[in-house]
Amino acid sequence: MIEDPVASIIPFIANVGINDDKAQEIAIGLSEGVVQRRFKLLDLVVALKEELLSNEASQRQKALHCLSSVLAELPEDQLSKNEVSVVFSFYLSKYEDTQLIKETLNGFSSLAKMRYMSQENTESLVALLTSRYQSGSYLAPVRYYAFETIKNIYLKNEKRLMADNDFADAFVKCYIHVVSGEKDPRNLLISFKLSRQLTSNLKNISKFKEELFDILFCYFPITFKPPKDDPYKISNADLKLALRSAMSANAEFSEDAFGNLIDKLTASSPAVKNDTLLTLKACVDNFGGEALLDNWLPLWNALKFEIIHNNDDSNPILSVGQPEPAGENINNYQEALNVMKSLSYELITFDEKAFEKFFGHIYDELKPNFTHEKDLKQSCSILASIGSANVTAFNRVIENSLPLFLNNTSATAKLKLIIMNLSFFFKAYTEVFNTMDSSDEELRSNKLLTFKDEILMILSKALTGTSKVETTLRTLAVIQFTKMTTMKDFLDKDEVALIVQYLTETILTDDNKNIYCACLEGLKTIGDTHEDTILHVSLMKMLDLLPATGEAISLNNEPIERESVLRVLLDFTTSKHSLVNESLIGISSKLNAIARSEVDSEYCFLLASALFTLMVNNIDSMRESDAILLKEKVEPLLLQLLTGSSKASIDDHTRMMLSDVLFFIDLKLPVAQHQGNLKRYEELFSNKLKIFEKPSHHVFPFVQLLAATNNNCKFEDADLIFEKTIKLVISKHPISEFEKLGYLELLMILSNKWVSEDTIEGLCDWDDLSFSNLEALIWIGKGLIMRNCEMGLLFQDRLADKLSREDIGSFIAKKFEILVTDLVVMGKYKGAPASNNVRFLYKQKYFSEMFPRLLDQHKRTRNLVVKANYLTALSLTAKHIPPKVMEPYMPEFTPILLQALDLPMAEVKVSALKTLKDTVKKHNQLATEHAESLYPALLKLVLPGPFNDVQVRLLSLELLETLAAVVPINYSQPHKNDIIRGLEPVLDDSKRIVRKQCVATRQAFFELGQVPFD
Amino acid sequence: MSEFINENPTVVQKNELPRRKEDDVELCFSGKGSDEAALQRRKALLKIDHCPQSQVLQESELLDRLLSKFTSPESEWDDSETATEESDEPADIIDAQEIYDLIAYISDPEHPLSLGQLSVVNLEDIEVRDSGNKDEMAEVIVYITPTITHCSLATLIGLGIRVRLDRALPQRFRVTILLKAGSHQSENQVNKQLNDKERVAAACENEQLLSVVSKMLSTCQ
Repeated sequence: MIEDPVASIIPFIANVGINDDKAQEIAIGLSEGVVQRRFKLLDLVVALKEELLSNEASQRQKALHCLSSVLAELPEDQLSKNEVSVVFSFYLSKYEDTQLIKETLNGFSSLAKMRYMSQENTESLVALLTSRYQSGSYLAPVRYYAFETIKNIYLKNEKRLMADNDFADAFVKCYIHVVSGEKDPRNLLISFKLSRQLTSNLKNISKFKEELFDILFCYFPITFKPPKDDPYKISNADLKLALRSAMSANAEFSEDAFGNLIDKLTASSPAVKNDTLLTLKACVDNFGGEALLDNWLPLWNALKFEIIHNNDDSNPILSVGQPEPAGENINNYQEALNVMKSLSYELITFDEKAFEKFFGHIYDELKPNFTHEKDLKQSCSILASIGSANVTAFNRVIENSLPLFLNNTSATAKLKLIIMNLSFFFKAYTEVFNTMDSSDEELRSNKLLTFKDEILMILSKALTGTSKVETTLRTLAVIQFTKMTTMKDFLDKDEVALIVQYLTETILTDDNKNIYCACLEGLKTIGDTHEDTILHVSLMKMLDLLPATGEAISLNNEPIERESVLRVLLDFTTSKHSLVNESLIGISSKLNAIARSEVDSEYCFLLASALFTLMVNNIDSMRESDAILLKEKVEPLLLQLLTGSSKASIDDHTRMMLSDVLFFIDLKLPVAQHQGNLKRYEELFSNKLKIFEKPSHHVFPFVQLLAATNNNCKFEDADLIFEKTIKLVISKHPISEFEKLGYLELLMILSNKWVSEDTIEGLCDWDDLSFSNLEALIWIGKGLIMRNCEMGLLFQDRLADKLSREDIGSFIAKKFEILVTDLVVMGKYKGAPASNNVRFLYKQKYFSEMFPRLLDQHKRTRNLVVKANYLTALSLTAKHIPPKVMEPYMPEFTPILLQALDLPMAEVKVSALKTLKDTVKKHNQLATEHAESLYPALLKLVLPGPFNDVQVRLLSLELLETLAAVVPINYSQPHKNDIIRGLEPVLDDSKRIVRKQCVATRQAFFELGQVPFD
Repeated sequence: MSEFINENPTVVQKNELPRRKEDDVELCFSGKGSDEAALQRRKALLKIDHCPQSQVLQESELLDRLLSKFTSPESEWDDSETATEESDEPADIIDAQEIYDLIAYISDPEHPLSLGQLSVVNLEDIEVRDSGNKDEMAEVIVYITPTITHCSLATLIGLGIRVRLDRALPQRFRVTILLKAGSHQSENQVNKQLNDKERVAAACENEQLLSVVSKMLSTCQ
C-alpha cells in the first residue's frame, strides 16, 4: 500500500523503459492511493515537480509518464471538476514541450473521458488538436494517443455531438485533421470504427461527406499482412471489415461510394474484386432503396460485365475438379450475384415501381440471350438471384423468365440446358420459401406452381424418355428431382411418390456409377423428409421384386439382377430405423419362404449375407425398441429355418450368417429380458433339440444367442454343459468340421463368461494329446485369455510349451493364431457393454508376454522342426496384432520373419509378408538393414512354386516395390539389375494380377537412379 | 500447311476407357488357395456390397479359414498341399485388353491426358498372337493414331509405348508398333524408326530422352 507518493516516484522512474510491468504496477498502486484518498492527485504532481522541471528531457518524460499512467488508471468519476480543470491546464502547458508529446496526449486521452471534464475544456482540446496537432511529425505510438483522445471525446460527448451542430462541426473537422494520412494498422482500426460511429450518428455528415469518404476510400482495398509477433493481433480481415462497415455507414456516401467502387471492379486481381463486391453489397444493404434509385443502372452495368464476362469459376454442376487456388476461397461470380440479390431486395422493399423499372430493364437486356442461346447460365443466375430477394420479386421473375426457355422438346442438348437453367430458379425458391417465414397464402399462390406440371413432365422425359447413354442428362434430372422434393410445400404427396418411383426404377435398372450415386443420394434425401413414402413406394417395391424362386426378375421389361436389388437395399437404408427394420423383416420372410420351397443355396446365402450386413451396418444406432420388434418378427422366422429338420438349401455359411443376425438382435434387447430368454434357449436347444447328446449343427444359433446374453445372468447349467461339450468334442462321434467349430466356440464363450477357473482346471486334461483335445484346450484358452485372468496365463504357458514337441508342435503352431483372432461374437458393441468379458488391451498384453518367450525358445532350440513351430506360431499371430503394438518388437522380429519366408507353408509366408510390408513402410531404417537379405529371398518367392501361391507372389512383388521406394539408393542400386532380370520370368506368370504388379514393381526399379523428370 | 485431321479429338473420360468387365472382382480376389465355392461366395458378396473390407466378407472368409484349419488335421504339411497348388490356378492369357491396359494410361507428352483418352491407342487396334504356350514365340502389333497427320511427337509416343511393352511383356513376345495407315505424313519413316532395335536401344541410352519417357509412363496404373 502506498501512503506517500514521493516514495513511489523514484522506483517508478527507475523502472520506466527497463521493467515496464513493474512501473505499471507502481502506477496502479499510486492510483489506488488516490482512489482511497490517502493522497490527492495534486500531491503527486507536486511530488513530481522537480523531475518535471528537470533540464533532462528524459527525466521530464519519465515524470510525466508517471502522471499519465496514474491518470489512465483512475476511474472516470474520480477527479472533481476543479481537479480535472487544473490537470487539464497543466497538460495544456506541457503541450509546447515536443519531447513530452506522447505523455501529454496520453494524459489528454485519459482526461477526455473523465466525467467532470468541462465543455470548455473539451472544446479547447478539440481546437488544440485541430490547429496545433501535426500528425506528420510524430511516430505511430504517439499518434495512437491522439486517436485514443478523439475516440474518448466522441464516446463521452456523443449526445452533445448529436445535438450541438457547431460542436459537431468542430469535432468532425478535428477528426479529419487527426486521422488524415494515417498508416498504422492499429490507429486505422480506431479511425475506421470511429468513422462508422460518427457517420451513422451525427447529423452534419452531409457537410463533410466527401472529405469523410475520401479519408476512408483512399485505403480501399486495404491489405495488411501482420508481422510475425504482432503484439496487437490485428488481422487483415479486421481492417477489411472495419473499413467496409465505415464506408457503408451512411447513405450520404452513396454518390461517392458507388462510383468509386464500380471503378475498382475493373481491377484484375480477384482478391481486390472480391473485396469490392463485398463492400458493394454492404453499401447496397445499408444505404437503402432511395440511394439506389439513381445508382442501380451503373451498378447493373458493372455487375453484368462481371457476371457475364468474367465467369471462369468452376461450374458447380459440371465442375472438372480443378484444384482451388491455395488458401483463399474466392467466388466472385457468386458474390456478384449476391449483390444483385441485395439490389433487388432493397429496391422492392423501398418502392415496387422502382423495382419494376429495374427488373424491366434487366429483363429486356437478357431476353435476347434466350433467343440466341447465349450466356444462358449467367442470364438465368442473374434472374434467379433477383427473384431470391423476396416473394413478390420471386413471382415477378418466375412469371416472366420461365416462359422464355421452358418449352417441351425432345432434343437432349436442349433438355440439358432447360434443366440446368431450372436449377437456378429452384435454388431461388429454396432461398425465398425454405428460409424466410412465408405464409401459406404466399406459398399457395407462388408462380412457380403454375409451371409445376410442365417441369415435372420435362424432368421425367429427361429421365425416362432418353437413352441410357445420356448419363449427364439423366444425372441432372435425378438431381433436380431431388431438389424439388426439398422445396417447401412445392410438391404434393403423390408427386413425391412419383419421383421416388422414378428414382427407384432408375437405380435398379441403370448401372452407371454417377446415376447410381445421384439416385441413392436422392432417395436418402427424400427419406429425411418423406420417410413414409420411401418405405411404401421404394422399399416395399424392392422387397417385392426379390424373387420368391430362382427365376429371373425384370422391371419395366428390363432384366435386373437380384444382387443389385439387395445392394440398393443395403446402401440406402443406413441408419433409418424404420427402413432397416422393414428390410430385415421383409428379407427374412422371403428367405424363410425360399429356403423351404426351393433348393437354391446360393440365393439363400445372399439373402442371409444381406441380413448380416444390414445388422452390422446399423448395430450402433439400433435401439431397444427395434430389437424388441425384430425379436418378435424376425427371430421366429430365422430360428425356424435354423432349427427345423429338413434344410437342404441352407449351407454352413448361411447358417453362420443367420446365427450372427440372431446374436445382434439379442444383443440389443433390454437386459431384463435376458435371463428369461436364456432359460428358453436352454430348454429349446438342450432339451428339445438335444444338441449335447450327439453332434448337431443346431449348436451354432445356441452359441450366438449365448454370446449375446448379458454376463450377469445366472447360468446354472454352465458347468454341466461345459463338461458335456468337452466330452462331445473329444469323443469319437462322427462330427463335421462345421459342427465341431460350433462346439469349440461354445467352449470359448462358456469359459469366458460363466465357468469358474477351478471347474475348468478340473475338466481339462493336459495329458490327452489328441488333436481334438488340443483344439478344445486352445479355444478354452482363448476365452480365458480374453478375460485376462490367472488361468489364462497358465493356459498360455502350457500351450507354448507344447510347441516344443515334435509330434504335436506343428499342429499347435498352426492353431496358435486362434488365440488372438477377432470374432464377431466377441466384439464390443455400443449399448451392450456387458455381453462378454473381453478386456480392452488383452492382445497387447498377450503379445508382450508371448513374443519374448517364443523368441527366446526359438533361439535356444537346435531342432529345426521345432524352430519352425515357433516361427509359424509367431508369424501367424503377427497379422492379428495391431502394427502399433508390434512396433517396439520389430527390430528383433524382422529376422524371424525373414526365416519364416522359407517355411513350406503358404499361409505362414503370407502372414510374414504382410507384417514385413507394414514394417518396411514405417521403419525405413529397418528395411535398409535387411534389404541385402530381403531381395534374394523375395526373388525366390515371386516364382510359382509349391508354396508360392498367388497371394505370396503378389505380396512379394508389392513388398519389392515398397522397398524400391524406401531403401536409400546407394543400398538398392547394386541390386537393381539383378532384380529387373529376376523379375523377367514373372512377366509370364499365369495370373494377370501378378503380371500387373510385376510390371509396376519392375518400373519402380527401372526408374531407380534415373534423371528425375521434373 | 496441311489440313488438320481430328485436331480436337473427343476426349474420352478416364472412367469410360474400355476395361475388363470382371476387373473389380478380380482385383479383390486374393486367391489364397480358396476353392471354387469360396470364390463364388466372394463374387456374390462383392456384388451386394462392393467394399472388399466389408464385414460380411470378412466373416465369410473367417469361417472358411477356421474350417480349413480343421480339414485334414492329421496330414502334415508336406505332400498334400504340394499336389493341389499349381494345377489349381487357371491361367489368364495375355490378350488385347491387357496390352491396352498397359499402354492406354501413358500420358501424352504435350497434354495432361492419356493416350487412351486421346484415342491415340484403341482397343481394336491391338493384335495379339499368343498360343499360350510359354515356350513359343508370340507377337503383339499395336497401331497408333496420332491426333494430327504431321504430329512431330509420333515417334516419341511410339517410343514410350515400345519402352513400356518391352519392360512389361515377357521376352518371347515380339512387339511391332505401327502408325495406322493414312494417319501420318511420314508414316514409313516413323514406322521404320520405331521398329528398329538399334535405334530404340540408342534412344534409351539418352538419359534426357529416357526421363521424358519416364514422365510419360508415370501415369500408368
